[in-house]
Amino acid sequence: MKLLINGRTREVEAPAADQTLLGVLRDTLGIFDVKEGCGEGVCGACTVLLDGRPISSCLFLAAAVRGRAIVTVKGLEREGGLHPLQEAFVRHGAVQCGFCTPGMLLTALAFLETNPRPDRDEIRHALEGNLCRCTGYAKIVDAIEAYARNGDDRG
Amino acid sequence: MPAFAYEAPATVADAVDLLRRHGADAKVLAGGQSLVPLLNYHLADPRVVVDINDLPLTSVSAVDGRLHLGALVRHHQLGESSEIAARCPVLREAVALIGNVRVRSLGTLGGSLAHADPAAELPMITLALDGRFTLTSASGARTVGAREFFTGPLTTVMRPDELLTEIDVAAPPATGWAIEEIARRAGDFAIVAVTALVSLDAGGRVSQARLAFGGVAPTPVRALAAEDALAGHEPTAERLAGAATLARDALSPQSDAFVSGAYRRHLAGVLTRRALTRAVARART
Amino acid sequence: MADATAVESGLRVVGRPIPRHDARDKVAAATAYAADFALPGMLHAFVLRSPYPSAKIVRLDTARALATPGVAAVLTARDVPRNALSTDVPGQTTTVGPLRATLHVLAEGRVRHQGEPVALIAAETLAQARAAAEAVDVEYAPLPAVFSPSEALAPGAPAVHDSGNLLAQWRIARGDLAAGFARAAVVVEGEYVTQFVDSAYLEPESGVAWIDSDGVITIRLSTQVIEHFRDVAEVLDVPQNRVRVIGTYLGGGFGGKEDVTVEVYLGLLALRTGRPVKMVWTRQESLLGRAKRHPYRLRYRTGALSTGEIVAQEIDLLGDSGAYAYLSALVLLYSTVTAAGPYRTPAVSVTARVAYTNNPPTSAMRGFGAMQTVFGYESQMERVARALGLDPVRVRAVNALRKGDTLPVGQVMETHVALPELAARAWEALGTPTSPRAPHVKIGRGLACNFQPYGRIVWLHDWSSAWIGFEMDGSLVVRCGAPDVGGGQASSLVQIASEVLGVPLERIVVHVSDSALTPLSGTTTASRQLYMSGNACLKAARELRAQLLPVAARMLDVAVEALEMVDGEVVATDGRSVSLRNLLAQCARASVPRSHLGVYHAPSGEPVDLHAGAGKVFPDYTFGAHAAEVEVDTETGEVRVLRYAAAHDVGRAINPQSVEGQIQGGAVQGLGYGLMEEVVLEDGINLTTSFASYLIPTAADVPDVEAIVLESGEGLGPFHARGIGEPPIGPPAAAIANAIEAATGARITRLPITAERVARALGLVS
Repeated sequence: MKLLINGRTREVEAPAADQTLLGVLRDTLGIFDVKEGCGEGVCGACTVLLDGRPISSCLFLAAAVRGRAIVTVKGLEREGGLHPLQEAFVRHGAVQCGFCTPGMLLTALAFLETNPRPDRDEIRHALEGNLCRCTGYAKIVDAIEAYARNGDDRG
Repeated sequence: MPAFAYEAPATVADAVDLLRRHGADAKVLAGGQSLVPLLNYHLADPRVVVDINDLPLTSVSAVDGRLHLGALVRHHQLGESSEIAARCPVLREAVALIGNVRVRSLGTLGGSLAHADPAAELPMITLALDGRFTLTSASGARTVGAREFFTGPLTTVMRPDELLTEIDVAAPPATGWAIEEIARRAGDFAIVAVTALVSLDAGGRVSQARLAFGGVAPTPVRALAAEDALAGHEPTAERLAGAATLARDALSPQSDAFVSGAYRRHLAGVLTRRALTRAVARART
Repeated sequence: MADATAVESGLRVVGRPIPRHDARDKVAAATAYAADFALPGMLHAFVLRSPYPSAKIVRLDTARALATPGVAAVLTARDVPRNALSTDVPGQTTTVGPLRATLHVLAEGRVRHQGEPVALIAAETLAQARAAAEAVDVEYAPLPAVFSPSEALAPGAPAVHDSGNLLAQWRIARGDLAAGFARAAVVVEGEYVTQFVDSAYLEPESGVAWIDSDGVITIRLSTQVIEHFRDVAEVLDVPQNRVRVIGTYLGGGFGGKEDVTVEVYLGLLALRTGRPVKMVWTRQESLLGRAKRHPYRLRYRTGALSTGEIVAQEIDLLGDSGAYAYLSALVLLYSTVTAAGPYRTPAVSVTARVAYTNNPPTSAMRGFGAMQTVFGYESQMERVARALGLDPVRVRAVNALRKGDTLPVGQVMETHVALPELAARAWEALGTPTSPRAPHVKIGRGLACNFQPYGRIVWLHDWSSAWIGFEMDGSLVVRCGAPDVGGGQASSLVQIASEVLGVPLERIVVHVSDSALTPLSGTTTASRQLYMSGNACLKAARELRAQLLPVAARMLDVAVEALEMVDGEVVATDGRSVSLRNLLAQCARASVPRSHLGVYHAPSGEPVDLHAGAGKVFPDYTFGAHAAEVEVDTETGEVRVLRYAAAHDVGRAINPQSVEGQIQGGAVQGLGYGLMEEVVLEDGINLTTSFASYLIPTAADVPDVEAIVLESGEGLGPFHARGIGEPPIGPPAAAIANAIEAATGARITRLPITAERVARALGLVS
């Protein structure tokens, strides 16, 4: 089976019918950008972008991927450096334990594609499906707001 | 997760043939948002999973005053389709209430209806819209109305060999709509949800009212007595409040470990009044 | 800050909101958590658990399971060399009298709670391990059970343990209670009930174990306590130096990873099979299997003068230990010492008990018993204020402890108590009152103050160590046993080292949390890590500096006092300098070590008899005040928090951004506790074992928490810092309850404050 991950094609043995995309990424390919937090699609730690939309990779059977483009947080990096939103997260203290962070980043970027100038409430609603237990969300919202305000080049 | 065989038929005929052959040993996979958690937690143990995501069931079209929706229309599409926005805006309003953004990316209309969670928004709304569901099997197709379709919690009239392929709903003109819902937390399933659809005649009286509930019974339910009490009358605040009381009094919701039936009943009354008020205001604009 | 000592100035790195080194790794998903690890030939492990809350194990036969495909081992109690884990105090300390309690690694003949581990399986795949678990033939005969502490303490209750159901009891009595109440202008009585909750860290329990060279059983896992290597050694009956725990950067701990979680299982299986073994819990398993927060029934009788001054407090606390003791006796102690709140209380009696039941075991969780009492004492304070028609901020100010005052337990407050200022600032921060957006909506404001100990009980003789050393090129290495739970524990050490030794942050690497390779520094719990390992690191840095400067002084021919370490150099007051590289080369020639191990011993004391009220229990406390503005829908009971401010005196903010983050995160976790979190049990069966049913706040459920950081300059930690990990979780529930009362007149005394509870309190539901 071919998987298109972060712009690169990876070839894996046909997965077991019951293996999820999360399982293939982590256990078969050693891609730990995605985490397992709940197995039910509630926490968001397993988020990937599938054709640009956030999905729960823990709820997606690997066999069903069918060559569509998958983006994980490593796919955000630019020329070996961090994406400005990643930089914004670091700068604003939006990362504590970091377990929710990849999911937050992908969800925020997908949201900003169609909502480039959100207010704080809109950002909070956009992140409703990504649980964080450490930060209380405020600095995550700070980082996203700052990035959205400053545009792509500075963050 | 248990081991099962994975099939991904390319046509409806192939899909229903698989269902004919495997019956209750098969589970249909659409968006996966309800099925895969059950698989992850070993609460479902199918021998075959039939992935229907390749089937051509994604169209949205208007025919003879009814909106026809393919069962694989995704939740986010309900929110993005201009056809739906124009003809059945209540469906669009529901989208923001459904799950979270990931559920909306993949979850399908058909999947939500077939799953039949009594607290879910789409079963309730299709009931309010007097939806008709097309069930296709190897022996043909039949149409079931929303009122007959849902039979109990997570239970429908669907046979193991049937596939829900299309839903059509009435798209009446000049209707005001509103959905009111209370959940234990943002984005959760509703404790109680109400959908109100109100059409007014030229004289400003109610020509038709529809009230449907989620979370108050084993299935979504209509408040027929309340609907009748509104028809033909001016939608004054008193009359709306009266209808809300009628609707509430007809319910006997169960208690569970988290929420009592009495509280659900109380909410049903409050939310009905609010939904009717908003729907009437919309109908008047 | 009338009697606060001067805050140090002139700091270059400490006190700045520096982005953390681990933040860069985490945004890039470069951090390898405990589950992000695999070894060739690795087995997968699974725990078989009891479905019954109380039962005899009539039959336990593993023959079929052992024959299941792919199975490498199936262990039961008899396969465990020493099947007992003593839980007195985790970490490097000794037993404390009656606080030792034992639990079995695997059940022996009897299970006492749903989820109790009965068998342990390792197989080639996790699916095979699960299949083998299903093939274990186990037959249970249910036994009588008890599910509430009051029932458990009633005569004739089924005994959860042979020792009886009363696990621990603490009492404080001081002053003349009767005389106090006789003087009181108002007496307020209240009974408050708090619930079981879960830590609900995003990262479930996980780890991998293997046998390393020289036969060292190595366990790489997510833990707040690497000192559990000793527990593993004890259970496996191997020497302690043959077990190594490597603690990974945690995906959250909050106390739930303070007890042993997977390490003993992994050690057992690695030893038994000789192969690497991995265990990762599912969320369902974590919610089912991990210890919860102690629920309490808190009874208060509070007497106050018309000025608002508290003259008498009579308090009864009853907690639920669940089926095993774990840390219950200590949690109860924290509750007992903090029960009367951060207030002068001339006459006080506290009776505190914790009982065994067949509910899930309860243990450490952020706040550790001092959190639940806030709901009691701050609900009472607000009710006293209302009864007397007094302003809530004023009532706190009238009663607040001051430096030099004595706590009910007999401890004298030795550092500044900023409570009045904190209360005023939090309250002011709410700004102009919001107007209700509709007639059925009411708005109200509530205040809640708290104090939380930081640093461990002084009788435990706590200590910590850190090693700092220069490489020859002037880059710096810090080694410290401190686990990093996500609160910046590791990066704080880097900041401190950079400040003292003048090494730029990017030239410092820190290694934490390895019981074989980093000097032990104790648990990341009790808001102690910044205090303890921060001080150890500070000590190490200062002592290292003192070692090196004389060499530089000779090189520059100046007095040591004329030298400063800054920007990777040693600079004299006249501007001449020597590079670190040259200095270190000279040190090598002069046989002066370029590294140092710093050991910090906390001020310690002997156990006190609480009843005699004679002593110091905790090193110090962190004070806080939170203010909330809420909106109550008086038709549905829904509560929305509109504004929230949280003020804490942290002594000195080593990293202000980290401090704010702790305050915001802790406050939101407290809001979850106050508004929505509950482990729902029905006859000992957990009904909330998924994230769909166990609800924690999302970004849409809470407002921005405005974190107000006060720096009094007094604290026992490095640069006079105080612990801030736990304090912010205490006030929210009470602040919300107080705000709801202000809005509607309804007083909610049970947690969580769900919409239904409010609706019922408003008389909306019969």
